[in-house]
Amino acid sequence: MRDKREIKPVNSFNQKIDYILAAPALLWLTIFFLVPYFIVLIYGFLTPDIFDIKFEFSLDAYRQIVDGTYFRPFYVSFRMALLTTVLCILLGYPVAYFIARAKEKLRNTLLVFIIIPFWTNLIIRIFSWRIFLSYNGVLNDFLISLGLISQPLEIMRTDWAVILVMVYVYLPYMILPLYSVLEKLDFTLLHAAMDLGANEVKAFFKITLPLSMGGIFAGVLLVFIPALGAYLIPQLVGDQRSLYVGQVITYKIKNIPRNWPMASALSFTLLILVAVCLLAGYYLYQNRQKTKRFG
Amino acid sequence: MEEIRIQNISKDFDGFLAVDGVDLTIRSGELFSFLGPSGCGKTTLLRMIAGFETPLRGNIFIGDEDITDLPPYKRPVNTIFQNYSLFPHMTVWDNVAFGLKIRKVPLPEIQSRVSEMLQLVKMEDQSAKYPAQMSGGQKQRVAIARALINKPKVLLLDEPLAALDLKLRQHMLIELMNIHDAVGITFIYVTHDQGEAMSISDRVAVMDKGKVVQAGPPDDIYERPASIFSAYFIGETNLITGQVIGIEDEYIQLRCNMGDGEFFEIDSTFHFRPEVGQQLTVSLRPEKIAISRNKPRIQDDINVLKGSIEDILYLGSHTQYIVTVGKLKFRVFSQHKRVYFDDTALDWDEEVWLFWHDTDSWLIDEMPDEAAYASESMVHPPRFGKREQSRNIAEEQ
Amino acid sequence: MKLPRLSSFFKGMNLTVFTFVMIFLYIPILILIIFSFNDARIITSWKGFTFKYYAQLWENAAIKEAFWNTMLIAILSTVISTLLGLITALGLENKRLKGRRGFMGLLYAPLVIPDILMGVSLALLFNFLRVNTGMVTVLIAHITFCVSYAVIVIQSRLEDFDYSLIEAAMDLGAKPRTTFFKVKLPLIMPGVIAAALLSFTLSIDDFIITFFTSGRGFDTLPIYVEGTIRRGTITTINSLSTLMIGFTLFLVVFTKRIRKSLISFF
Repeated sequence: MRDKREIKPVNSFNQKIDYILAAPALLWLTIFFLVPYFIVLIYGFLTPDIFDIKFEFSLDAYRQIVDGTYFRPFYVSFRMALLTTVLCILLGYPVAYFIARAKEKLRNTLLVFIIIPFWTNLIIRIFSWRIFLSYNGVLNDFLISLGLISQPLEIMRTDWAVILVMVYVYLPYMILPLYSVLEKLDFTLLHAAMDLGANEVKAFFKITLPLSMGGIFAGVLLVFIPALGAYLIPQLVGDQRSLYVGQVITYKIKNIPRNWPMASALSFTLLILVAVCLLAGYYLYQNRQKTKRFG
Repeated sequence: MEEIRIQNISKDFDGFLAVDGVDLTIRSGELFSFLGPSGCGKTTLLRMIAGFETPLRGNIFIGDEDITDLPPYKRPVNTIFQNYSLFPHMTVWDNVAFGLKIRKVPLPEIQSRVSEMLQLVKMEDQSAKYPAQMSGGQKQRVAIARALINKPKVLLLDEPLAALDLKLRQHMLIELMNIHDAVGITFIYVTHDQGEAMSISDRVAVMDKGKVVQAGPPDDIYERPASIFSAYFIGETNLITGQVIGIEDEYIQLRCNMGDGEFFEIDSTFHFRPEVGQQLTVSLRPEKIAISRNKPRIQDDINVLKGSIEDILYLGSHTQYIVTVGKLKFRVFSQHKRVYFDDTALDWDEEVWLFWHDTDSWLIDEMPDEAAYASESMVHPPRFGKREQSRNIAEEQ
Repeated sequence: MKLPRLSSFFKGMNLTVFTFVMIFLYIPILILIIFSFNDARIITSWKGFTFKYYAQLWENAAIKEAFWNTMLIAILSTVISTLLGLITALGLENKRLKGRRGFMGLLYAPLVIPDILMGVSLALLFNFLRVNTGMVTVLIAHITFCVSYAVIVIQSRLEDFDYSLIEAAMDLGAKPRTTFFKVKLPLIMPGVIAAALLSFTLSIDDFIITFFTSGRGFDTLPIYVEGTIRRGTITTINSLSTLMIGFTLFLVVFTKRIRKSLISFF
């Protein structure tokens, strides 16, 4: 029996009206999302000015991209994004699994607990970590009062702080898509696998993990890409000696002397990097799907 | 009186003809069924009457009015949907009142008509519930009330009982007949279930591949199938093919191949005049065949065959035997008239005699499609629609 | 159906990680709330209970202004992007619409590109057009990143839509307009509400894009908070943050109630 009628009711779809309805938002995105990237592209080939920009052609900015002057910030950002993603998978998977396997009534409540921090203002969350981690902050006070350490630990303004806060901020983005996949997963398959002689670990790696790959991919997308462009977290808790690409771009735009061509070139390079990561992820996923079907 | 005339209606989906030149006249007040396997075009035909599909060509009239191009909301027709399609955000009362509210009927009248309708379908105490809180049968009743309150000239029912379980289906079937009697309007009922169609309808149109293959009262279709398709889609039957070797005043003689080089002859009455030498099919319903251990004493042994039992299926009210005659397989029903088997039970591989009257077989001027029968012996009904049919064995009794 | 039982090792591991993550997620928030009542100039150690920072908050004109700016932008961008999202989702409902794949790509793209790039590109656009940055530019930026989310949320609701309900309504005599307002709109309303809430939270939460598109003199709360942290005068930030967390909690509870009341229909 069909539940829903796939056939659309008579005359309810009219292509012309559909285009008219869709036009405002698409036009909006074209003007304020697509066109700006063309301007970013153009500005990368202009000449910097202390306060503004000179409309004179120059290859300086891209020369500096190519000769590796700015390799370091990209490397720092990339490494941190990767590390954050891996940690988010390791922490997020068991949590998503736990919620998906909890009693049905409990699941929504547990999800709300995950969502509350996710909906709390980003700056506030970063700020609270500063209170927690700083030199004479809560964590150090606590550890000293327990007698575990005698000197306060230097955590703030280190890479450790950045990892901690990045994972903290992006973890829900990993948990939620993973949960939505695991929740739909047919756990009786595990039963079947175990019935056929697989032990629990094998059943997990042969059944659960492959079937939840879609959730992992979505989670990676939602964590890795924003993490790549992170500005606020390294800015507020990071080591100021190692700059992230987001910080460099922001300084070039905001701080005087401004260098908008450089910021544009960096932004465009980041955009390309993101596009490459997206495409790589997409093909990886597609290939997996294929081998799953035929292999 | 306002009859529905369907004239040469066709409908295509991306080049595929779902309905192919259908002509039908449905009398006013009739309970008419479109019966056929899925994909035969019955639902598409119904949807064109409702106005959800535009025909490729042809016209539909209600009385003298051509409704072919009217949008659904201007047709004097209401529909019971397969999944009921009750509005989930409205209570029972609001669902039923919907059509009247749209027509801006004054509130006091809405109230009295809604309660009248809910009474008709025995849902008067459920009016504050939401669809999600109701069972399938209850939703069905609300859907009926919601449609009938608009006083349509025709009520269209699209597989209305498909989602219900067997007991409830039988119960709702009787209730639908009662409602039909109470409101007296035309019902058009779409189903793939021949048991439903046979028991409820005044007339049935059997459909196949977008065409109406036969239309008529249920007993007519069952006893006098116009084609091989009608014969095996409705009920179960044995199809015997043979060559006409003689024509008398009241009957013809057929020579039939047993499949192993041997031949037997059968006599059958006829309703059209075949020619000697012509190949024909004979439909012989399993319950028309008598089966016994002893050879029946019939003059000239007309329509008496000797076979052996290959299979026995005990089905409660009757037993089904599969009897092989040469390489042919006959399906035979034997009704249980007494507490257990009437005779000492027939056993596997036992030699038995089959007999039927020459008036109980029916000639069909058509040869079975070889492809459809390739894996089957000639007499065995093809597998088409078998699942639906076997389910209905119980219901037919 | 009884699900296969996990051995206690696996179960224990999952529970441990879950508990750890919960502590991890809530410790900073709890600390913030506690320290908003801390009677100390320096944020870090406990000096006694006080309400005075809440009082200071009330008297701080800059915070008040930033608050109203945030609200103004959030409400305007929510209304505009939800409406835009609704009509766009309806326009793209027909899966056979020519060019739909491209349109969907354009709608999804803002979701998979780091915020900072949208901020930079908009900043340069406004510079190129010689537009003075301020309220209008911030509003434009917020609508730009909200509208995609709005379309996608409403679209997912439309995807579950049972079109036989439209047929049922028309069958009962409702014209297309009535059908839309009486049947379709009420049924996709939960999606519209979800889209509005998401737009609203995204808007009040955004720092980086606002940072690039707001001029001097137009601060939203996140911009104000970031500036204050940088300058080091942060005593009121705790109390402000606590209020904002309270607001978030209110939203979560509030949406859950809306969701519940709507779910009960189905």
